[in-house]
Amino acid sequence: MKLIRHIIPVFALTALVSCKDFLDVRPLESISDDLTIVDKASAETAVRGIYSALGNSSYYGTGFQSIGYLSGDNVQWTGSQSQVQEFINHKVNADNSTIGGAWTAIYRTINRANNVIDKVPAVTDPTLTQVLKDQYVGEAYFLRALSYFDLARTWGGVPLITRPTLTPSDNSGVKRSTQAETYAQVLKDLDAAEPLLPLTTDRFRATRKTVWALKSRYYLYQKNWVKAEEYADKLLTDATNYSLLKPYSAFFANDARGTRESVFEIFYNGTTEVNSHRGQWQPQTNGGTRQWAPNDAFVALVNDPAVGGNRSTLVAKDNQNRWYGNLYYRNPASDPTFVIRTAELYLIRAEARAQLGKLTEGLADLNAVRDRAGLTAAKAATAADLLLAIENERRIEFALEPHRWFDLVRTGRAAAVLGVTDPNRYLLPIPVDQLLTDKSLEQNPGY
Amino acid sequence: MYLSRRTFYWLTLLFIGLSPSLLAQTDSPTLLGKVTDRSGEALPGVNIRIKGTTRGTTTDSDGSFRLTLSDRKTPIVFSYIGYKTQEIAVGNASTLAIQLDADQRQLNEVVVVGYGTQERKNLIGSIAKIDPAETRGIPAGSFDAQLQGKVPGVQISSNTGVPGEAVNIRVRGATSINADNDPLYVVDGVFINSNSLQTVSTGGKASSPISDINPSDIESIEVLKDAEATALYGSRGANGVILITTKRGSYNQKSKLNFNVSHGLAKAAKLWDLTTGPQHAQLVNEWWINTGKDDPSLKRTEANRPFRPVSEGGRGLPEEQQTYDRLGELFRTAHLQNYDLSLTGGSKSTKYYIGGGYNRQEAIIRPIRFERASFKVNLDQQVNDRIQVGVSNTFTRTFRNQARAGDGPAGGLLQAALHTPTYLSPVNEQGVPVGRAGFDNLTLLINNYDVNSTSLRYIGNLYADVQLSPSLRFRSSWGIDYNNYDESEYWNNLLIAGSPGGLATSSISQFTTWLNEQTLSYRKKIGGNHTIGVLVGNTLQADVLTRTYAEGRGFANNAFTQISSAATTAATQSWSKSTLASFFSRVDYNYAGKYLLDFSIRADGSSRFGSRNKWGYFPAVGAAWRIKQENFLKDVQAISDLKLRASAGTTGNQNGIGNFAAQGLWTGGAPYQGSPGIAPQQLSNPDLQWERTNQINAGVDLGLFNGRLGVEFNVYRKVTTNGLLQLNLAGTTGFSSYWSNAAEISNKGFELTINSDNIRRGDFTWTTSFNVAQNRNKIEKLANPLRYGSRDLILQQQGNPLYSFWVYKQLYVNPETGNVVYEDVNKDGKITTDDRQILGSIWPKFFGGITNNFTYRGFDLGVFFAFQYGNKVYNHNKFFGEGGGARDAARVILASNLARWQKPGDVTDVPRPDGVNVNNYRDGGSRWLEDGSFLRLRSLNLGYTIPKAVTARLKIETVRVYFSGNNLLLLTNYSGLDPESSASSDQNQQGIDLGTPPQPRSFQLGLNVTL
Repeated sequence: MKLIRHIIPVFALTALVSCKDFLDVRPLESISDDLTIVDKASAETAVRGIYSALGNSSYYGTGFQSIGYLSGDNVQWTGSQSQVQEFINHKVNADNSTIGGAWTAIYRTINRANNVIDKVPAVTDPTLTQVLKDQYVGEAYFLRALSYFDLARTWGGVPLITRPTLTPSDNSGVKRSTQAETYAQVLKDLDAAEPLLPLTTDRFRATRKTVWALKSRYYLYQKNWVKAEEYADKLLTDATNYSLLKPYSAFFANDARGTRESVFEIFYNGTTEVNSHRGQWQPQTNGGTRQWAPNDAFVALVNDPAVGGNRSTLVAKDNQNRWYGNLYYRNPASDPTFVIRTAELYLIRAEARAQLGKLTEGLADLNAVRDRAGLTAAKAATAADLLLAIENERRIEFALEPHRWFDLVRTGRAAAVLGVTDPNRYLLPIPVDQLLTDKSLEQNPGY
Repeated sequence: MYLSRRTFYWLTLLFIGLSPSLLAQTDSPTLLGKVTDRSGEALPGVNIRIKGTTRGTTTDSDGSFRLTLSDRKTPIVFSYIGYKTQEIAVGNASTLAIQLDADQRQLNEVVVVGYGTQERKNLIGSIAKIDPAETRGIPAGSFDAQLQGKVPGVQISSNTGVPGEAVNIRVRGATSINADNDPLYVVDGVFINSNSLQTVSTGGKASSPISDINPSDIESIEVLKDAEATALYGSRGANGVILITTKRGSYNQKSKLNFNVSHGLAKAAKLWDLTTGPQHAQLVNEWWINTGKDDPSLKRTEANRPFRPVSEGGRGLPEEQQTYDRLGELFRTAHLQNYDLSLTGGSKSTKYYIGGGYNRQEAIIRPIRFERASFKVNLDQQVNDRIQVGVSNTFTRTFRNQARAGDGPAGGLLQAALHTPTYLSPVNEQGVPVGRAGFDNLTLLINNYDVNSTSLRYIGNLYADVQLSPSLRFRSSWGIDYNNYDESEYWNNLLIAGSPGGLATSSISQFTTWLNEQTLSYRKKIGGNHTIGVLVGNTLQADVLTRTYAEGRGFANNAFTQISSAATTAATQSWSKSTLASFFSRVDYNYAGKYLLDFSIRADGSSRFGSRNKWGYFPAVGAAWRIKQENFLKDVQAISDLKLRASAGTTGNQNGIGNFAAQGLWTGGAPYQGSPGIAPQQLSNPDLQWERTNQINAGVDLGLFNGRLGVEFNVYRKVTTNGLLQLNLAGTTGFSSYWSNAAEISNKGFELTINSDNIRRGDFTWTTSFNVAQNRNKIEKLANPLRYGSRDLILQQQGNPLYSFWVYKQLYVNPETGNVVYEDVNKDGKITTDDRQILGSIWPKFFGGITNNFTYRGFDLGVFFAFQYGNKVYNHNKFFGEGGGARDAARVILASNLARWQKPGDVTDVPRPDGVNVNNYRDGGSRWLEDGSFLRLRSLNLGYTIPKAVTARLKIETVRVYFSGNNLLLLTNYSGLDPESSASSDQNQQGIDLGTPPQPRSFQLGLNVTL
């Protein structure tokens, strides 16, 4: 019985030890969300976190990009999953996982931006100057603008979320705004970002110039030709920083990044920041799957010296004589994602000018792009001719970038060019998982 | 004299089929007698031997015998199955009347229960005890894979024919969507890790940590099923508990050396039937022309069909195409070998078991291999008459030469072999080996595969047991489960994954569980009839998982394979920990062996849960009534046992959720431009708590005819509430989901076991053991349906069972058009996602096994069938392989596609090849959802034990040679290779058969020697 007297304290002791401390285990790789943006370092790193979301594989990494070009007429699908074919056939179902992933990834980017916009102004770290605070918040506004722009052109009106999500009940059950209201939010954020950002040149992060470039595209979509021209002008007149490189491949080949061609591109280092895009395009001998491949029509066009010019470097042949797209090729996977290029600004301005009846200037902008591709100058007798020439130029120039589908929808040409006659198809369906989770969301008509 | 004795033995062996009495010496006395049971019933076929010899006889039909004695000093031994063996000194008697006592061994069998042992007759809970010896010969890496069909109510699906890969094991169904459904494994008191540490991709498969345990070291396996049995394991008992007791020595036992060796061969019983090159080409042409007819704008005509003469710019006519066999290159006759050596024994105060084992199994597909070397030492020391200390130690090294047998284009063996069109040459025009259809070149893949893992495992327990008084015992133990899991891959530049330049990875995971436990148990008989037992105890446990991963890309050439030679390298590290503090108690009461009652409770505190719900309480109560002990049944001879049992209680589940699932977190892993970035990672849920499973169980145990027929029947109902779920959040929140307690799932069913001694007649015995169980699973509450698996083939939806198949129901192929007609569920004239419906699930309507064992003299024969009925399997290989030509050069076409519709009037369920009407080969069509019922001859074991008389001369105790055949017969309607195949180890994606090698048919020869 003596032993019992020893055992009981042992029990009591273990009971005490096993109390609160023993059961309180905290991770080492993450931090508690009670303390997030509190000083300069955390503000700075939280801004990088937004770019990281922007470059996510479901957003500008691969998924969202693919919506833009698969839905065009340049790409074929060699795999077996019907969800990719749905874009090519223009019969996208609400359960398509690419759109589901893109929706979530874009709102993830927005939430990260909202955290910065909400918390950075309140930080009281003396080393975090007002200039820096403005820059961080300005970048967040820009990235939120880009996110809503992509939501608006893909799905139309969407729920507008401008506050960070702190608990599971925040920011759900918000009804969809109209497409006009969503575009208005884009402009509001761009207007907010513009004065906050420095007038510097940075091709990997947003500056005031990046805001101008996106404004130019924004106004193009809004058919506000004057403003579109005006904002494109602001960069194109800055030729020391923004110009077309010769030949075409100079902006991407030989591991190029951050060239003067580039207005805004997303950086990947290939190890901790991976751009998985190459895997879809490269052939097996380069470690890819070549599940997305240039289709016969595009291969013919881009290899036509009078159409593709030196842009034929966009495609190459594998050891089985099959064509593959070669814009995303780096190993490890560190290809930049090109969001806005100088060539786009030329073609935006060309289009705006054509619409404004400035044929000569518009043609000059178009021919700047053609000249860079090693092509002879185009001629256009009428604005309509010029617009068609611009449309065809954009098809080749941005063949593997997410423009073709949005361009044809924006110009009302999807029916004529792609044969998509049902206007309901110009917007994609709200992902079915979202409809199930958030009952306040309404599906787009026709789905 | 020596010679004559020797001759005598040889003669005995020679005349083994003859009555020993023929060899009797004429001048010896003769004994006459009769053997009956206690009630006077004659016992025919009782074995009678003169002790220490092989001389003897058996009783005839009226129980009488006649035996010639050599002398009157040597005792006579009477033995009979189901009865206690008796030794009788003859003395001067010339006649004997022997009464044998029924052996209640089955009832007195000791069963391991939570924190103790129990005699079977006193069990209240539902516990199955399995003798692992019966299934040890089944070629599989882990003992749990071997148990299929042996344990009532425990459904085990092998998933794959690759040895050492994780199996799907479900005790009374599944209780959770996002938390684990695997049972808790306890080895000698240590809660071991059963979650795979694998990080390399093998196409959705995972290695089984259970295969680190050598089945030969296991003495017994107990499966705890109901709440009474599992509640003492509290927060981890909801999915059942598997208690593994390893072998130990006995005090005062002579040393015994056991050696077992077996060698065998394994092979796939059948392979897929593929189209030949010409057939493939024919179908592609047909598809081409058909699509051209449907959509003239495509301009696809006979004239420009793909397989037209080369001179016309085509690929050559169909009949000119070659056929390349890749399956034959991948599949092989695999070698199996196993060696076990053990030494067991004990002195007055020390007992020991030392075991060593080596097991090597090749998979039936190149180049996969599984190897395990294990070493086991169990020691117990009686310090004095009150204190015993002991250790259990298991050391294992498990090596796997792994490969992607599952899904995934890069490195997928079956993708390269099965899914590549047969007409495509493995080399290009220049004679260079090329991968086709987006997959690797099979020859290059097999020859350059370099993916392997080495698991070093130590499972140990150190205990001290103190008998404080005759009725009070204290035990303290420390347990450790340490697993070092080292994986490396090298993909050279000839393979997709390594192109260009090569890729090497290394991942080292270390998982450590430590466990400290104290129990104090009290048991006392009060008066004549009352026995009371009390147990109190506590446990502290911590699990830590650390992982270091490195990769390198860009190697000078294929001779350099280490990350240190790579041009670019990257590395990551991770750390995770969880803790559990528990207190438990059990009180049991037994009145005269008639009325049994017990009550238990466990309190668990877990670091994983929200700050408001760290502690959970898990009570259970059970009662049993041994009616046989009542006076009115005592004298009913036919009924040897009758017991009613009932229990109710609550258990929990916390496995499978992240260690920090309840915490709101920001990650540091959101870098940009090579600089660190932070971002929201998950939302907190301070209310997150255990999944709770309430279970009621009622059972009856019946023994008839002196226990020769035993029946056990259980019915149960399990309801799981607070189901752990990654609840979807609206995307607008910026999060996809958060951990919450949101689902409700029920399981109900029954289990029936029948054990029967059919015949025991002298040298011949025949026993049968049969079990069958039914489990009905249902999702009682789930706010939104969840889709899983490739092409959303599986839907978890309220009102349906977990793992239900969600498909378009194919009604028929229109004989006029050749197009598929699907059921238009919402009658909107279109076939859309809304027309998908649930058609069956992975759950069988019933399942079980039947074992027949026969012995005749030295021969033993065991025939074991496992079966299940009514489950569905999605034949995903067939979906891909019945593309009707639309996938052209991108995918193989199975021969079954040749049954396609060709002309009006054709009646078939395979539509016309066509690329415009996507319906015909639509993802998720019900045409590929098949019945997975099967009856499998899991094992057939035939052994011969050389007579003792021979072996004793050589100082050998026993020698047994045996043949073991496995999976010799498979009766199923499933058109794939194996209805148990499942592409993924993910619990929510079961039952999708894609790129998985079947369980092999195997033949083994073995020898077992005990000295």
